[in-house]
Amino acid sequence: MQFVWFWTFWHWSKEGFQDGFLLRSPIQGIGGHWDEWFRHEASASDLRAIEETGRTESSQRQFIAWFFRHWARETNWRENRMVPRFVLGQLAHLPPFNRWTAFDKYREQYGARGISAVVLSAESKGEADDVRRLEALALPSDSNSSIVPEGFQADSAELEVSRQAAFSVFRGKGLLYFLALWTAGGDRPYARWLKILVGLGWATVAGLILYLLFGPDAGEHLVALSATLVSLWSALTLFAVGMICTQVIRAWQAGKLCGERLQRSEVRLRMDGGLTLKGESAGLAFSLNTLLSLYRADSQLAQRSWLWRRLFRRLCTQAGSWAATGVITADGRLKSVVLQPKLRACLQRPDIDHILTPNQRDATRKSVDLMVKAVSPIAPAPIKSSALRAGWGFAAEEPRLQSHRCRHVAQALMVFGGFHSKWQKAISALAVLVSCAMLLALPDLRSILVPPPAPVAVAPSSTSPYYLWVSLDTKAPARFQVVLESEFWSNRRVRVLPQRAANVPARAEILLHRLPTPTGREDDATIWVERRLQFLTREYAAGERVGCYSLAYLTRLGHE
Amino acid sequence: MKTNIPLLLRWHLAQLENQAPPPPRAARLLAQTQPWWDTWPERFQALVERLSHMDVAFGHAMTDASHVRTGFPVTTLVEHAGEETETSARVLYLSLRDRRFCFRFHLNANIQPAVESFEVTFITDGKMTPVLSASAARSVDNEYRVDLQVSEELAREWGNLKVTDRMPFRLLLRSASSISDH
Repeated sequence: MQFVWFWTFWHWSKEGFQDGFLLRSPIQGIGGHWDEWFRHEASASDLRAIEETGRTESSQRQFIAWFFRHWARETNWRENRMVPRFVLGQLAHLPPFNRWTAFDKYREQYGARGISAVVLSAESKGEADDVRRLEALALPSDSNSSIVPEGFQADSAELEVSRQAAFSVFRGKGLLYFLALWTAGGDRPYARWLKILVGLGWATVAGLILYLLFGPDAGEHLVALSATLVSLWSALTLFAVGMICTQVIRAWQAGKLCGERLQRSEVRLRMDGGLTLKGESAGLAFSLNTLLSLYRADSQLAQRSWLWRRLFRRLCTQAGSWAATGVITADGRLKSVVLQPKLRACLQRPDIDHILTPNQRDATRKSVDLMVKAVSPIAPAPIKSSALRAGWGFAAEEPRLQSHRCRHVAQALMVFGGFHSKWQKAISALAVLVSCAMLLALPDLRSILVPPPAPVAVAPSSTSPYYLWVSLDTKAPARFQVVLESEFWSNRRVRVLPQRAANVPARAEILLHRLPTPTGREDDATIWVERRLQFLTREYAAGERVGCYSLAYLTRLGHE
Repeated sequence: MKTNIPLLLRWHLAQLENQAPPPPRAARLLAQTQPWWDTWPERFQALVERLSHMDVAFGHAMTDASHVRTGFPVTTLVEHAGEETETSARVLYLSLRDRRFCFRFHLNANIQPAVESFEVTFITDGKMTPVLSASAARSVDNEYRVDLQVSEELAREWGNLKVTDRMPFRLLLRSASSISDH
């Protein structure tokens, strides 16, 4: 077995914790435990073996490799990738590791760069150093979930608010808000060609609606057009709803897992400089880095959710070029902060391209552009060498900084994940409009595609000689009309209207009006029952005739 | 020329003896063996008086029934750079084997710059009498460590203590600068 001394230390630490000699768990207290063991508990043979390991850089590297390959596996830290890194980072500052050159890269950072916080040092008007690099690690915790500052001092209550805001994004209102924003206009998880196809589909539906409303009478093609419209709209709606539901459910499940992990984690926020924080403007950066730390600890948490995966991947790869400032509340809302010196500080950092700010007036693009102009371009000092006769042109780049204003941390996630999509917003707006129209038109389309059964004329008939009542036994009176054709009476077309009184069938009331010069007999009249074809506000030419009655039959109906 | 080495050595010894500081007086030697609270009883009484009136307690407003291992804070009075700071310490490691008392604690006060060592005096919680005094050296962050031999009686009394128990003592921490002031 290699590096037995480390196992000896590790088991001493574990047993000490179990037996109540050590307060902190072996991971949380790794630095102090090692210091105690190495200085006071390690045997002479252990110390010799440690010295032997540290003798050459090669053997030091062997220890690090063994540490990642074997120790991490055998101590069940496979589910948290950052634990070995954290342990090495803590040990790197302690003897004898603080003299081992192979530990140099673990001494300064955990390799988990996050979004920078803009924290002004006392009386600073915005210097490059005020943009502070943050690292966040989520470590397994034996006690309550908490945020522990490392390298700076902060009020634990303020850090707790940042943790609660992160929790809200995983399992609370913050998640609902984020999902609502994404549903409304967020980029969708399918290929570009499919996005175009879906867009064309919605445009086709809109075109069909407009054609049916304002185009020429479709005549015999009305059924085919209606069927196409309903099918296309149904397919698009099902596709959109199905996709959104799938993503929302997966995001909810992944958020639940992340939230549970957060509750079982101690988040360590590292910010060098030994500052004592006054004010809460770093809350947004703390909260976002807390989210990121969970993904870094275990990327499998978000594996099944495209939304979280995309967000976290972008956070991992691009966090270095982002800074954030804003007071955050436990439910994720952002409050305004002093911004001008912070923007100035970011402008002096060429590696910072974006800043997340609360939604306040001095964070508008115009304000930032004005400040960019005010800050002089960063140029290298001129070289005063006589040997360099050729004219040197310093292509000094103007500082570029894009501010993103957010009211809520969920909006910050939308920005960070690159979910904002103008195309999708346009498609969503079109889809909503089209769907509203379709929902209003569904009864009309239904009567075109699945016509109601043909009605039968029933009693009562009118007792007045001036009126003809055509009572119809139908549940859809609005879908029918009645036509009187006669050479004695004026020809009329009348809608069938429902009756308010209970158990009284719907009827069409035709005013009988003699023609000025009648040619036929009084009883020689035919009453047709026709289907009405409508689409929203438009009425088409009469549809199929589904009933035919004589005047004599209808006037006698119910009086026999 | 022939050098007389023994003579030269005697001359060198005589030179060194002349340069050496005078031997301490018996009274001073006696004073050095005495604990500091006997040497400066008024100062000690004043500090103990203040320590006895300090009351540090945590209320655990737990929202769930999960096992919380935080330990009990130990009431601590720090005397450093002419100032007295009321604070608490968190016991991180406690071991008493074969009368060897190893004690590691985290000082909650943020003293800048960090003090490399304190003289720590253990005061019994009830009677407020001093029982131990030793040097606590700083190790990692704000953690300090005490390692000393204790009496048989104290070993019996504190032998079963665990870090999660309420400690039967309070701490009085004095930095080197405050000791030299006296």
